[in-house]
Amino acid sequence: MKFERFIVCALLIASAGVAGAAPSAQAILAASDAIRNPGKPFALTVTLVEYRNGTQVDSNTLTVYSKADANSGQFRSLIRFVAPARDANKLMLKNGNDLWFFDPASKASIRLSPQQRLLGQAANGDVVTVNLAKDYQAQIAAEESVLDGDRQSRRCYKLALAAVSPDVTYHHIEMWLDASNSRPVKARFYTESGQLLKTAYYRRYQPQLGVERPTETVIIDGLDPNWVTVMRFGDYAWRDVPEVWLQRDYLPRFKPE
Amino acid sequence: MRAPVLVLLLLAATAPALADDEDAAALLLADKTTATAEQSQDWRVYVETAARESRRQGAGLALHGGRASIDARFDKTFAPGWRAVFADRLDMNRMDGVSGNRDINTLKEAYLSWQAQPDRVADLGRINARNGVAFGYNPTDYFRAGALRSVVSLDPASLRENRLGSGMLRGQTLWNGGSLTALYSPKLAQQPSDSVFNPDLGATNQRARWQIALSEKLTKTLNPQWLLSGGAGQSPQLGLNLTALPNDATVAYFEWSGGRAVSLAAQALGDRDDAAFRSRLSTGLTYTTPGNVSLTVEYQYNGAGLDRAGWNALRRGPPAAYGLYRGLVANLQDSPTRDNVFLYAVWQDALVKRLDLTAMVRYDAVDHSRLQWLEARYHWTRVDIALQTQLNTGHSGSNYGALPERRLWQALLRYFF
Repeated sequence: MKFERFIVCALLIASAGVAGAAPSAQAILAASDAIRNPGKPFALTVTLVEYRNGTQVDSNTLTVYSKADANSGQFRSLIRFVAPARDANKLMLKNGNDLWFFDPASKASIRLSPQQRLLGQAANGDVVTVNLAKDYQAQIAAEESVLDGDRQSRRCYKLALAAVSPDVTYHHIEMWLDASNSRPVKARFYTESGQLLKTAYYRRYQPQLGVERPTETVIIDGLDPNWVTVMRFGDYAWRDVPEVWLQRDYLPRFKPE
Repeated sequence: MRAPVLVLLLLAATAPALADDEDAAALLLADKTTATAEQSQDWRVYVETAARESRRQGAGLALHGGRASIDARFDKTFAPGWRAVFADRLDMNRMDGVSGNRDINTLKEAYLSWQAQPDRVADLGRINARNGVAFGYNPTDYFRAGALRSVVSLDPASLRENRLGSGMLRGQTLWNGGSLTALYSPKLAQQPSDSVFNPDLGATNQRARWQIALSEKLTKTLNPQWLLSGGAGQSPQLGLNLTALPNDATVAYFEWSGGRAVSLAAQALGDRDDAAFRSRLSTGLTYTTPGNVSLTVEYQYNGAGLDRAGWNALRRGPPAAYGLYRGLVANLQDSPTRDNVFLYAVWQDALVKRLDLTAMVRYDAVDHSRLQWLEARYHWTRVDIALQTQLNTGHSGSNYGALPERRLWQALLRYFF
């Protein structure tokens, strides 16, 4: 845990350059990535609860195993569906834009396109962790106070993120990060044409694997604000994820303890 | 009275300060969320009841029937590195005017798996070893022959799930970005069995077979799978599975199998040896719209099936020969004719949440007959209800026109434990 705090601090200090200069946007974003994402292979449980017009319409539980690529720094994830019962033990592998779905009942490994969604409102990329600093170029657009997910006013850097790689889920992002500690507070995700796809609030910060991390993301649809998904993250644990697991041919084998 | 007023005042003061009121409403909703993570289960069990009405080709009276099924799947790691898998289904059918009113148990899988190291695995038992990236026709799915014991739906997903595995020993080694799998499936029985609870090894292990599969990631997005399969009484067949991502919304796939083989007609009728190099192919695209409708179009080629002239000749010839040919092709889950087109569309959360619509068309490009299938499925947490309809059209003796039923309706109720 100390190591991760050290990394966050080091990134901020490195970005600050000479004393008194504003930190670089990219370094703030990297520091915020380190808050959302554990620095070693890990597993967690994600619970998604979906609301339409104030009424709960769906609920899913998933277990996610993630490991960063040593070269690209980007995460590869294995996702196991836990509930509801009809989807239990189905699997998804996400390695960049290489997405595979596996159903143990039919033994079918089906390649998915990034646009195919298996989980209602949440894009497949939303349920796994992403190092934004690897895929987006950040600029500080403003320093302003915004209300965070707990309705507290918070001084934030507003970053404008532009995709540097075509194989990302969102074309550009506005992201508000706490100016005092780089914690993600809020983000708005856009299409190439500038249409708002969704708004996300990062909240319920709790100590997880040595760092205070957001354990809940509230996603609000860009077109229909009455369409809301609450994603809760729990059961964080360090887990060894061997490289051989992160391929299509391992999906029929994946049976975590 | 003061407290509600105070709350209202607080809300009135807070909400406008948010970027917009909808965000505040969403966060209030999230505050009230009490859902907790569920625990994973080793068992997945469901029961299903179905009622159906069908009309035979050439109209006639409606026939009614019913089915009750229980489907169980068990998958447990019972010791470090050791895993047991068991999957079974019992269908109890009752149908007007049909002699085949019977119960059928399908022992889909029963095997032990030993993972000595993260990259070395061995399996022994009845295993559903399935290959193929295509949707409607899988030339590289070499172990599909004889695997169907009870057909409850013509949806390809159902046909893949409700089938017999083959008895085999299988080993796999994996490395970063690739794997090599070898399996041997011995001859274990002489004849298929109709007996209700017979494991029916005679359907799947009538002769010895083997298969080798090699996958290697060549680039970030290109990961072909090569297969070599053979067995007693057949020449080795080479297979290839390949997928690509032309854009964010489209998956393209290509599945091919080829090798020296006799035609299906020669195999069925035993009247000649016409062994030659023959290819089977299935290739297509799946496009997903922004509204999450996935549309698949697939072209299917069967080089061992009959071309137009051969198919027409068989249809005009002795009914016994025609029956033998259709029986063999159905058992092999192959296509009787050379060229076919397959369309498949899935719309998740169609118009309303939890309603999934699935449509399928199988078009025989040789005799122009068609099979059309449509399903509307609504699901709650533990219960599915579904309505399916199927229409088979075509001239007499054509691929789909010869199916006994012209129109079929089926209503289903499924409960997950």
